[in-house]
Amino acid sequence: MADNEEIRQFLAGRIWLHQLLPFPQEAIDEAIEQGSIQLITGVTTKTTWHGKHYTCNRCHNENQAKFTVFQCAQCGAACAYCRHCLNMGRVSCCSELVIWTGEEQVFPREHRMNWQGNLTPAQQKATDELLESTKQGVSHLLYAVCGSGKTEMLFQPIHYLLKEGKRVCLAAPRVDVILELLPRLQVAFPDTVTEALYGGAEVERFDAQLILATTHQLYRFHEAFDAVFVDEADAFPFTAEATLQQAVKKAVKPGAPIHFVTATPSAQLLAANKKLGNISLLARRYHGQPLPEPRNEALWNYEKQLKKKRIPKKLLDWTKACLDKQQPFLIFFHQIELMELAEPLFQQLDERICAVHAEHDDRKERVQLLRKKEIPGLLTTTILERGITIPNVQVAVVGAEQTIYNKGALIQIGGRVGRSVPHTSGDFVLFHQGITSAMDEAKREIRKLNHTKVPL
Amino acid sequence: MNSCLLCDKPLEDQPTWQQLLGIAKTTVVCLPCFNKFERIDNKIETQWLDSVYSLYAYNEQAREYLHKFKFLQDVALAEVFTDDLRKVLNDSKKRIVPIPMHASNKRKRTFAQVDALLDAAGITYENLLQKTTESVMGEKSRAERLAMTELFTVTADIPSNEAIYVLVDDIFTTGTTLQHAARTLKLAGAKHVEAVTLFRPTGKK
Repeated sequence: MADNEEIRQFLAGRIWLHQLLPFPQEAIDEAIEQGSIQLITGVTTKTTWHGKHYTCNRCHNENQAKFTVFQCAQCGAACAYCRHCLNMGRVSCCSELVIWTGEEQVFPREHRMNWQGNLTPAQQKATDELLESTKQGVSHLLYAVCGSGKTEMLFQPIHYLLKEGKRVCLAAPRVDVILELLPRLQVAFPDTVTEALYGGAEVERFDAQLILATTHQLYRFHEAFDAVFVDEADAFPFTAEATLQQAVKKAVKPGAPIHFVTATPSAQLLAANKKLGNISLLARRYHGQPLPEPRNEALWNYEKQLKKKRIPKKLLDWTKACLDKQQPFLIFFHQIELMELAEPLFQQLDERICAVHAEHDDRKERVQLLRKKEIPGLLTTTILERGITIPNVQVAVVGAEQTIYNKGALIQIGGRVGRSVPHTSGDFVLFHQGITSAMDEAKREIRKLNHTKVPL
Repeated sequence: MNSCLLCDKPLEDQPTWQQLLGIAKTTVVCLPCFNKFERIDNKIETQWLDSVYSLYAYNEQAREYLHKFKFLQDVALAEVFTDDLRKVLNDSKKRIVPIPMHASNKRKRTFAQVDALLDAAGITYENLLQKTTESVMGEKSRAERLAMTELFTVTADIPSNEAIYVLVDDIFTTGTTLQHAARTLKLAGAKHVEAVTLFRPTGKK
């Protein structure tokens, strides 16, 4: 029976490959016999008039281009496997997934909240609304501008759920966000078993009650949570991949609420929550100052000029001004290649200027150096568009007309400016060769938010 | 839309002249990923093998590729080197013999990697060899490898003819596997035995 207990702690709420379960085969067989473990086919095949249609039962992928069929030596037939969630161990037609159907996991109801900070009246109002939705079990969208202190607003609803003995997940599309949130939550809930899950994480407590996870990790869960909070719900790749949104849905228990927290909700998300849930709008930053509005500057043929090893005049003047005033700056590029072309040119102005992108492992250290003013500025791709705070930072976007800069991305980038007291404003300039509707919309939205009345 | 088998970025879906003329280097992976494989065209001769031809260096990219292909069992990756293998192995005078896996290991992995590579390239081959032990080279020290006795037996009679037998394997490290295979073939009557491998470590890090 002791074995069974261990298996339950590991497997409750999860969906796992049978052959990857870290338990002896006899113990697993016994649990299957008792009906505590249910077996599910890895990939379901449906025969339609135009051929076979496969569905992966772990990640719910149905994109047929992501399945490969091969002659399998194990089942001796043509067997399809899912390439979408391959990194978590291959799921194929002849592999079996297991879920826990035995006794439910019981979680403690005693939890301390160790957080003495104060919420502004506007924050408190939004928190109360979110808490109310949580109690009712209704989905909630917390639409709060960049730098409004979103994480703190989640503490009270999470505490409420934990005290009810519920299992809670805080999910975010990017691992950087998870790593930043973990210490804050561990301090806020010192008695709670908390675990962070991301690619390559070492898991100690599989039966954690509070789980922080990248949205990808939710593929491993099956009707596990009584509530999921999705932070930065508009970030790539969450919006781009339908299966990730599916993953969140299958990770919650039937009927449990999914809450979204974001500064830039998509029209789709807004519409869905208008219809079925609740929305709180928080239009003011915690320090009460307006969001910086973007300034458009034409910068023609910037690509050509950079290729000719020349920084375009306006961009050069802007950078020099930042250097003179000793203000830290971020310059966003839409392409890694273009950024790397520009890096040596900027280093002629100041050799400490450097570039960061997703494949740099030391990007956190470089951002830290910028914060400490040891380097004057960074060139970056959209990887730094969210989640970072640098006092008094000035921001420029080169090529703001590019399609990857949609409304949300531009608002997020602008959200880096003026986040902390006393530097509550700063320059946010969009260098472009032609104004796009996304640029207009971003500007309009920021203006609208700045003119929204807020409770005092 | 198709995406790169290695980095999953979408591939350009516009047809190019190279593709049309059949001289495109790659169609299933993106060019940046493909260029990370370092071509070496290394050719050597050993005691039992008349030549060993290795196409690429066993660098970081190759290591990752084999890891995904063999241990994550991503059979689709067999498509990556089809053109290269076809260029080297398409010759009616050559009889292609893949290095086999032991039957029980093959069942565990669900496929034999060398067969999968050749199948993907549409190259006909003969399974003339059979593995006698379940043990795998990667788990052995150099001394252990060199001390091993017969690794293979032949599955059919080999006529003592002028055909060129070409052994195919994914990687050439110490050469023990290929040496054993070549010896088995030669003792069974083959006169000329060559080998082709995808990767070979190049010493430099």
